Amino acid sequence: MTEPILRLRGITKHFGGVKALTDVSLDLEPGKVVALVGDNGAGKSTLVKVMAGAHRPDSGEYLFEGRKVEAATPASVADMGVQTVYQDLALCNNLDAVQNLFLGRELTGPWWTGFRVTRASAERRAKDVLRRMRLDSISLSRNVGAMSGGQRQNIAIARSILWEPKVVLLDEPTAALSHSAAEQVGNLVRELASHGLAVLVISHDIHHFVLDNTDRIEVLRLGRNAGSFNSKDVTGEQVVNVMVGGDESVNMAG
Amino acid sequence: MTDTTVTPKTTAPAKRGLTERLGNELRFVPVALGLVALFLFFATQSDVFLTSRNLNNLMIQSTVTGIIALGLVFVLLTGEIDLSVAATSGVAAVFMAKMVVDAGLPIPLAILLGVGIGLLIGALSARWVTLIGVPSFVVTLGVGLVLNGVQLLLLPNTGRYNLLNTGVEKLAATYVSGPGAWALVLIAIALFALIRVTTFRSRQNAGLPASLGGGVFVPVAVVGAVLIALLMFLENQRGLPMPVILFIGLLGVTSYIAHETRFGTYLYAIGDNAEAARRAGIKVDRIKITAFAIAGGMAAFGGILSASRILGVSVSSGGGVGGGALLLESIAAAVIGGVSLFGGRGMVIGALFGALIIGTVSNGLNLMGVANEARLIVTGLLLVLAVSIDRGIEKLAGPAG
Repeated sequence: MTEPILRLRGITKHFGGVKALTDVSLDLEPGKVVALVGDNGAGKSTLVKVMAGAHRPDSGEYLFEGRKVEAATPASVADMGVQTVYQDLALCNNLDAVQNLFLGRELTGPWWTGFRVTRASAERRAKDVLRRMRLDSISLSRNVGAMSGGQRQNIAIARSILWEPKVVLLDEPTAALSHSAAEQVGNLVRELASHGLAVLVISHDIHHFVLDNTDRIEVLRLGRNAGSFNSKDVTGEQVVNVMVGGDESVNMAG
Repeated sequence: MTDTTVTPKTTAPAKRGLTERLGNELRFVPVALGLVALFLFFATQSDVFLTSRNLNNLMIQSTVTGIIALGLVFVLLTGEIDLSVAATSGVAAVFMAKMVVDAGLPIPLAILLGVGIGLLIGALSARWVTLIGVPSFVVTLGVGLVLNGVQLLLLPNTGRYNLLNTGVEKLAATYVSGPGAWALVLIAIALFALIRVTTFRSRQNAGLPASLGGGVFVPVAVVGAVLIALLMFLENQRGLPMPVILFIGLLGVTSYIAHETRFGTYLYAIGDNAEAARRAGIKVDRIKITAFAIAGGMAAFGGILSASRILGVSVSSGGGVGGGALLLESIAAAVIGGVSLFGGRGMVIGALFGALIIGTVSNGLNLMGVANEARLIVTGLLLVLAVSIDRGIEKLAGPAG
């Protein structure tokens, strides 16, 4: 059993009187894909934002590589090696794939060139990363606005791994995608794990995406841990039952 | 992370079609063709139109609008607008004239101060926009009116500073000819070639596909041919007019900034998706303030050049109250040139073509003896037509789905 690289222990987060998260724990291991599932309002997005440093928890521990960390800002969490891809992707449609991959972290010449963007080295690096992720079919010089939803999602994920993080958090990467595009994202997610990254995926597509592409399923319900399953040993119905709190009714029926 | 031994999928990246390239790096081509069409039309309508004397006038007339439009492109790219550029040009020109005439400051210093005031006006307007969140449309509309008032305050009771024989008039009236002109043209071509060659070399070094013909020879040949033709044509007259030299120089510098530097990339990113830019760690406010400062500085310089050309400043410097035709034509020049008012789209060189189209229509119709009302109507229709063509191309190049 690999040691978890990122551990949350007893995370609680309230917004005013609303208990978004209560005593939630979660482990992410290198090389493993963990699905975070739950009904609307179960606290999935809040938990990801806590992990990404966008929300500070009211209580609980955030451990990274065995050490307790503050995770105070998105930037400090990113520097630590935890990258987040939000649902809206945050891409600029009028820029091409290379420009989007390096946005805010451009490789440039010295000051006397006016920080001229050295596109060639960026493109080289982008090409290598995309090849490693089996995303060669993405054109580097097309504006991402002219690309399909699946390609855009893949570019957003590729951007998160460009700087070789250790953990990637994906917030609903398949929500707006066709079945075949979602499959591509699934391939990419497994590819990331095969390179030793710890991956967390929020998804509603339990029957296909989650069961096919993840190693473990963590269920949240009403802001609490509601169950943890090995993806191989569980059916979609069982997961959904726990998600919606239907396990009691199952017990009653049994 | 290590390379896997499995052979990667060999699907080739999709080729970019012509419409897609027209929506991006070739965006100026339709408007350039439009300019050629206008030239051909007026050449058939007037014997005088294609004379070097007339084209000399046409270009000088277009430089002030063109320089203001160049600066405005930076603001438009971020998705904002600056309605005070014409007023800024007026105030800066009057301030410069006051410094020269009343205070007796050396001319270069007075010009520098004038441009500095333009920079400051742009930066402060943008600070207000970013700090309070008032739309730039409103802030700069107000600032423009304030500046109109300041301009009146700065002017003497006569309502005018005369700049004849002060030395300021030399800025616009100087011509460079002979070896000096050739040197300037060759330096310009060499700098452009240098940029192209360094791009080519770095692609080669990175093991990326690089085309010596399409990436270096063709663009350098086109730019070189245009500049040399311009020089040979104007040598018949008195040589290269200083306003044209200044405009081409500024065009080169602003094109480099917008299309080659990190700052330029940020302008485009902010114009398309400011939230994404912010999350990528870009200091959006700072970039916007810089863009407005550039627009203000360029507008100020345009105003000073205009004052030098018409030998004085007055109430009507900077297009008069509200910016008048100067403001509208500067915005129209950028927009005709393919710069989107919604931000993130267009190229700096569009300002050149836009300004030349407006100047050509005005000049050509004038030669044909057509009255002013027709000129306004034609310019207005061209604006709508140009933007419509732009939108059409953009739709064709839109999401593949």
